[in-house]
Amino acid sequence: MYKLILSLALKNAFLRLSRTILVISMIGVSMSMMISLEGLYDGMTQNMVEKSKRSDSGEISIYNKNYRITESLNDTIKNADQIGEVLSKRSDIQAVSLRLKAQGLLATARKSAFCSAIGIDLQEEEQFGKFSEFLQEGTLKLDKRYILLGSELAKTLKVRIGSKLIFSTQDKSKEINSIAFRVGGIVQTNNISLDKSAVYVQKEQLRTFLGLDKQEAMQIAIRSNSSELLTHLQAEYKNLEVKSFLQLYPMMQQMQEIMVIFNSITFLIVMSVVFIGIMGVMYVSVLDRVREFGIMQSIGMSYSLIRTQIFIESLSVALLGYVFGAVLALLMLGYLHVDGLDLSEFADGLESFGYSAVLYATVKAEYFVTTFFAIVGASLLSVLLPLRKIKKMSVIEATKVEI
Amino acid sequence: MFSLALKNLLFYKSRSITTFFLTFMSAFFFIVYVAMMDGSHNSMLQNALKVYTGAIEIYKKGYRDLGGNEYLLDTVESIEKKLESIRGIEEFTSRYETYALLSHKEFSSAAMVAGIHPDKESHMSQLKEALKEGVYLQDEAKNSMYIGIDLAEKLHVSVGDELSFIGSTSDNSFAADLFIVCGIFQTGAYEFDSSSAFVSRKYFDELTSARNKASYITIKVKNLADVDVIADNIHKVLLDDTLEVVTWKILMKSMVEAMQVDSIFGYISMSLFFVVIFFVIMIFSYINVSSRIREFGVLRCIGLSRLDIGKILFYEIFILSSAAILLATPLGAYVAYYFSLHPIVIEGMSETYKEYGIVSDQLPFNFDMLTIMWNVGLIYILNFLSILYPLHFINSFKPIEASKHV
Repeated sequence: MYKLILSLALKNAFLRLSRTILVISMIGVSMSMMISLEGLYDGMTQNMVEKSKRSDSGEISIYNKNYRITESLNDTIKNADQIGEVLSKRSDIQAVSLRLKAQGLLATARKSAFCSAIGIDLQEEEQFGKFSEFLQEGTLKLDKRYILLGSELAKTLKVRIGSKLIFSTQDKSKEINSIAFRVGGIVQTNNISLDKSAVYVQKEQLRTFLGLDKQEAMQIAIRSNSSELLTHLQAEYKNLEVKSFLQLYPMMQQMQEIMVIFNSITFLIVMSVVFIGIMGVMYVSVLDRVREFGIMQSIGMSYSLIRTQIFIESLSVALLGYVFGAVLALLMLGYLHVDGLDLSEFADGLESFGYSAVLYATVKAEYFVTTFFAIVGASLLSVLLPLRKIKKMSVIEATKVEI
Repeated sequence: MFSLALKNLLFYKSRSITTFFLTFMSAFFFIVYVAMMDGSHNSMLQNALKVYTGAIEIYKKGYRDLGGNEYLLDTVESIEKKLESIRGIEEFTSRYETYALLSHKEFSSAAMVAGIHPDKESHMSQLKEALKEGVYLQDEAKNSMYIGIDLAEKLHVSVGDELSFIGSTSDNSFAADLFIVCGIFQTGAYEFDSSSAFVSRKYFDELTSARNKASYITIKVKNLADVDVIADNIHKVLLDDTLEVVTWKILMKSMVEAMQVDSIFGYISMSLFFVVIFFVIMIFSYINVSSRIREFGVLRCIGLSRLDIGKILFYEIFILSSAAILLATPLGAYVAYYFSLHPIVIEGMSETYKEYGIVSDQLPFNFDMLTIMWNVGLIYILNFLSILYPLHFINSFKPIEASKHV
């Protein structure tokens, strides 16, 4: 009997072919657009988060308790070397980077700008966040003559590779010192505060210039996948400030939350409209065949079998729409994931907000799983009203209905 | 035809209600969404223009690209005289900006120190209103300095404290002096508040040998929409190829581009809703038409042409769309108007986004009838497009065939 119901349902689902194709197109096109947008928006935020972690904080960063307020050379982590060594031996930590930082004035012969000199070890940074990928122009090297410059800062100062720069700041003994460099390379991290102000200097050179001890550092940045590490480190280093990425970048958390809310609202609205569309078609489809259902019931078919038939009809159209939409979405997401959406024309604007000029989408299975359940749910719910109509009709009444 | 269409709408109630509801929702939300998006962009722009950047600025060619003292304006008085005759200009003033090292006790910081005309500047920018502590600069003030709140924090200074200034003069020689902090300002733009200090030009010109010189002249216009025409007029009046007249569209290029991108994404998101709604309206029109094949067949048999059938469908969608839009437009316009006068306040927004130059918690809407008209026009067009396939479908039947359709 169920075989008969299945074949009846499938035949009826495609009886009005153009109507069914319209519903399938509606589900497919809206679903693929929705998933592509979701992937693109997620990709934009994730890219920003990932680059901020790689270029600065990692998953966790440790500072002297006062440093983030005062940014003073006196508020360093005094035994940073020792802590770094202990941390790098932990199995739940993938990489550690110890950095020095100093605010100062960076000047060419014609222009000046504020900057933040960051003393780094290139090898350490490569392991920490694939620093070489940030190189936009020039050579990735740091020595006594050459430094790396943030892309926005380079634009502000109008400097090129090889340009001479003077960095002036106060050292630890409060004396104002200056040092001359040449631009060896320009880096773009998409972390706006770094791109606007960072000057990457060889760590040991900056240490000597600032008059800091060998064990000192301003920041210990950590890469780790462990969710418990933060609590452990906070308990272990009570005299230091141990912060997670989201605590250091609260705006990112807000952006992620806004994106989730936006995507959920979009999802809900699109699915509600899709639900109205399917319901309209199923309602008309059932009403067209009231007499047919009446005859079926009068020759002994139970209401539950008719209900199953209508559910299968609705489900089969919805599933076809889903498959069509999933294929379209995969194609669109695949393109956006590999080639990206090139908005180079608006590069300045995007970069000023920390986005890359080419936006890449993320592809997550959950987009397809959630949409699958939503479409199945919408298709099943959409037939409840027409089913109620059939249930209320008496068999005799139904067989006499004129279409 | 019209009354036939009206009767059909009343007869097929569920299709009419669905189409009306979806059209109403899409028109209402589109008007509100675009008003909110445009309003937030305008607000960002106006806030940025209020803080310091002028609507139009005049530079010597080369200053913006290369910088340096050889690219300073050196005929400021004669340029200003010419500007007085140009219509549309509300106010203008010259600024001399230099970068210097400021120190207080053991604390030092680099800063942009600008020589300004305090009185004129108070009409140009938000500097005076941004006063947080102490007093605003006076034209005759000698060694007084007006500094940003975040810079004051960096230097650990408060009103009345002494600051040492080390910089250079306009002829590239060394300049040093002591200043007293007369006031502290807070515009909300973090980068600006953490790196800017102002001194009266009367005193600063002596120190930096900058009399009749300026980094640029900044201009406030009466109507921001006229900025291009005014810039063009300035260019014609100045008649000097060594000068460049730059509007805010170029001065704030990255912000303009960021807003364009934001608008593009806004419209892409809206287009998703339009596509779904378009399909649903089309499906309902199609269902409606397919259940009336016999009716249309009979109408064709009694002499109605294909064009007449098209007219009936057109009137049907026209009546439904117009009714929905006539209700949605005043409602959407009222929401846009109300929030343009009483902006939504998202507390803490500027604090979180200060790195991005967002200086206000307020989110005002943009109330513009022309924008509302094109929003509504687009919904109309989409609705009319949605009946094309149903129309094609019904016209594919021959009259006799259609009149016998079961």
